[in-house]
Amino acid sequence: MEEQIAELAAQVAALQASAGVTNTMFAETYYYLTIPLMIIIHAGFLAYEMGASRMKNVLSSGVKNILAFAFMIPTFYFFGWWVYWAFPTGITLSAGAAGISGAEYASSIAFGWGESAQYMGPNIADQASGVFFGAFALFACTTASIMSGAVIERIQTVGFTILAIVLGSFAWVVAAAWGWHADGWMVTMFGLHDFGAAGLVHAVAGFFALGVLVNLGPRIGKFNADGTANHIGGHNMPLTVTGLMLIIVGFWGFLMACVIVPGEGWSWFAAKGATIYGTPITLSALAFNILMGIAGGIIGAWIYTKDPFWMMSGALAGIISVASGLDIYFPGLAFIIAFGAGVILQPCAVWLEKRGIDDAVGAVTVHGTIGLYGLIALGVFASGYPALQGEGVATVSLVGQIVGAIVFFLLGFVPGYVVSFILNAMGMLRTPEAAEKAGLDPTKVPAQAYPEGISTSPAASS
Amino acid sequence: MGFPYDTADWAVVDGAMFMGWGGSAPGIYTLIAAIICVAVLWMGNSSEKAKYEDAEK
Repeated sequence: MEEQIAELAAQVAALQASAGVTNTMFAETYYYLTIPLMIIIHAGFLAYEMGASRMKNVLSSGVKNILAFAFMIPTFYFFGWWVYWAFPTGITLSAGAAGISGAEYASSIAFGWGESAQYMGPNIADQASGVFFGAFALFACTTASIMSGAVIERIQTVGFTILAIVLGSFAWVVAAAWGWHADGWMVTMFGLHDFGAAGLVHAVAGFFALGVLVNLGPRIGKFNADGTANHIGGHNMPLTVTGLMLIIVGFWGFLMACVIVPGEGWSWFAAKGATIYGTPITLSALAFNILMGIAGGIIGAWIYTKDPFWMMSGALAGIISVASGLDIYFPGLAFIIAFGAGVILQPCAVWLEKRGIDDAVGAVTVHGTIGLYGLIALGVFASGYPALQGEGVATVSLVGQIVGAIVFFLLGFVPGYVVSFILNAMGMLRTPEAAEKAGLDPTKVPAQAYPEGISTSPAASS
Repeated sequence: MGFPYDTADWAVVDGAMFMGWGGSAPGIYTLIAAIICVAVLWMGNSSEKAKYEDAEK
């Protein structure tokens, strides 16, 4: 009898060990697969902004987008990952209640030298750090890509790359530390809830772009002497629209990466998924609400514009508008909020244009304005929901979401404006007039986008 | 600390397994990588400026 019990106990232990290995491999694979999915976002932005460029600037736009991706990864490795873990409690860099923040903690896990290097390279006992780092690095690449499209056809490549590093490896990372971390002061003090990063990724990147655009100025020929705007069409609308669809595909990976899977030592729960705040979530919630968000955004944009560019931008805006509450919205409500985003999208872009801002792809509106719209919408509908796991935690409120919106606006706009101002003073921001008129491809790219040319057809009246 | 070259056996490796672990090499590699990034931006800016000067002639 005792032998049988011992044998049974051994079998149970073996099964538990096997289940643990399976869970760990699942968790590692889960985040690993979000990385190529998020690279599709970058492919989408690449196609999007190359299509939105005139033929004389196509490859130049592509070069800077690719370069932003390439510089984002190492700079996020060098210091961006450290910023995320060091800054949650604010500029004091002190440790928070959850015990996973502050300068000391960050220095022990996020530097590529000394003892912390064991978590920043191959380690047979650590199947989480690399895939988490990869997912966050791709979030960083997304912010840089958002800014990239707005500034096409007149920004210098290196000046843009420096701006991308400031945005992707610092500005949005501070926003994430403050509002997307269990110790983040905006979460613990104001109950901020931004599950899918509508504010801390999209709004920060969108308003960073706005800060840059103020100093960069419009493309030659964009505005007339009386201040009225001219439409500068891109050379390839199908490429732009396809790029937008690719961005939407990639966002499934982005949002999937915002979920903390169960059953690991670092998980919130043993048997259910959680948001980064430790509140419960399921992938089914994402499926319901992302799809309804896409549909609402497209329909809202179509009823107002009938333009495929704005319809696909509406799809993206639809996702962004509901991203903050994808975990708790009812699908019908998600559709309504996204429909509203689709309707206001193009008028908001026109409003900005009338103020002399030449945002070539509408990034400030799609990501900035709609990001804040989504953040505040959650405050309207979700007030009273617990913002964190545990008892006596802060709850979601309209005031908290508005505080978040203001902070994210400033975290984007101020560094975008200041750094681009400095670059402008150093002669590293705007391309010279002669190069802009001749085209940036013939000026500095040793290749041709379309050696055999492209024939065109006239547009229908709107 | 570091790969156990004496035994040359993966069975005794239970943590970091990259080259240079336990010494100063990871920090040096990281520093060199950072210097490369800064140098490339510097050189790229010089090259870009030269292209713009050509366009203005």
